[in-house]
Amino acid sequence: MAKPLVLVHDGTEIPLQLEKVDRTKLYGWVETEVHDDKGRRCDMAQLTDDGRTIVPRGGRAIAYLSAQGMWCDKSSLAPVDAEGAPIVPVVSSYAAPIPLATPATVDDVLAHDIRLAYRVAPDAGAEALAAAVRGGAIWTFPYSFRGGLEADQAFLLEGADGHVFLLVGRPCAFEYVGLRAPVWADEGEDLTDDDDLDFGMI
Amino acid sequence: MIDINLSNSKGRDAVVQALNVHAPKRIRWIDADGRQAQTVHVLKATVELEADALAAKAGGLPQVAALLVAGDPELDIERIGSFLPSLTRVYIDPDKKLVHRVRQVDVVKDVQGVERERRPRKQPMPNVGGDQPPLRWTGKLIPRAEAIRRYVFSTTMQIAHVNGLTYDFLFGMAKELEDKDSLLRLGAGPKGNQRLVMRRGGIPYYGFLEGRTRGETYCLALHLSNLELKKAPDAPDPDAEGKA
Repeated sequence: MAKPLVLVHDGTEIPLQLEKVDRTKLYGWVETEVHDDKGRRCDMAQLTDDGRTIVPRGGRAIAYLSAQGMWCDKSSLAPVDAEGAPIVPVVSSYAAPIPLATPATVDDVLAHDIRLAYRVAPDAGAEALAAAVRGGAIWTFPYSFRGGLEADQAFLLEGADGHVFLLVGRPCAFEYVGLRAPVWADEGEDLTDDDDLDFGMI
Repeated sequence: MIDINLSNSKGRDAVVQALNVHAPKRIRWIDADGRQAQTVHVLKATVELEADALAAKAGGLPQVAALLVAGDPELDIERIGSFLPSLTRVYIDPDKKLVHRVRQVDVVKDVQGVERERRPRKQPMPNVGGDQPPLRWTGKLIPRAEAIRRYVFSTTMQIAHVNGLTYDFLFGMAKELEDKDSLLRLGAGPKGNQRLVMRRGGIPYYGFLEGRTRGETYCLALHLSNLELKKAPDAPDPDAEGKA
């Protein structure tokens, strides 16, 4: 049995097993097969810009280059955010019990794109889990399966079918817009103004 | 950003903008001097250097082992490690040759993985743009608190106006939905009963419109879902089937 995710509510530890809510298990799935003229199965690959080198799946890697364009080892680099502040890696949510201390609202859930949903089944403490989500209560906490640079946000709530679910998502960048809000530019549009070239950069 | 044709509760419609509002956290990597490193894609392997291609060429895996002892047949020092500024997706046949004409077949499988149907692949076409019938205000409202317990909203787009007229149009929709504390199910197609497809070959989603207002500003969000929040049915017990 997999290591449980342990939540703590009102002093009671609730070890949970997570079962992914998956489209394939609910509705089945569609596989696309690709055949050539002779009816043979084809695989997807990638062609480099020399027009002859074919890269198979897994035939591409990511490398890091220093500011001088030299190869550098990732272990010599440190992650920072957009403002340059160091990013403190997060540990796995399975490393220690997580207290249910932060309630969330329906607005909070709707302000996240949910990328994973799990049905939770308690190994023990089923009554404590039921009490935690009773009356439509929603709890939130940072969640990371194996640890890493950043955690997702998890929401624990009761589903319409009476089961308890854990939703894992990332925040959306909503904003309120008024009459004077600028019209969004098409991402493909070239916004370069030819009359405003900065020759000082050359 | 895409154009989206939307109708309101009075049946009036307008073409407005929809923008994906997913905000990934930007992570940069810096060296000990605080200078930013950059990532590049490099070539790690080519199809001619994969194990099965080498085995086919040498006459079997044992022969490849002998070649590996004698030299480096899996390395092409001229090409491996070179930068890959751009790549194009292609199909290759079992001989690892480029294929120029393909036939695509969708194989439909049920929840047990049993094949149910084979059919020529059909690419879903977008049905939300300005040249399409407006997304219909179906009138099907679902309380917000119930919606998050019934559906998994995996993608969200924000809807915004393109001029003063559409500002009034969208502000009114946001206010109406906020007052009802509900999400509105949207439908695409001439009858308003189709799921929403944003781009060619894209995933069809059920669309739910949410509105919020603050003073003279509004936030109109289109939540997209292709998954219900519910327990999967238990797999049939093969022993029980045998007994039956």
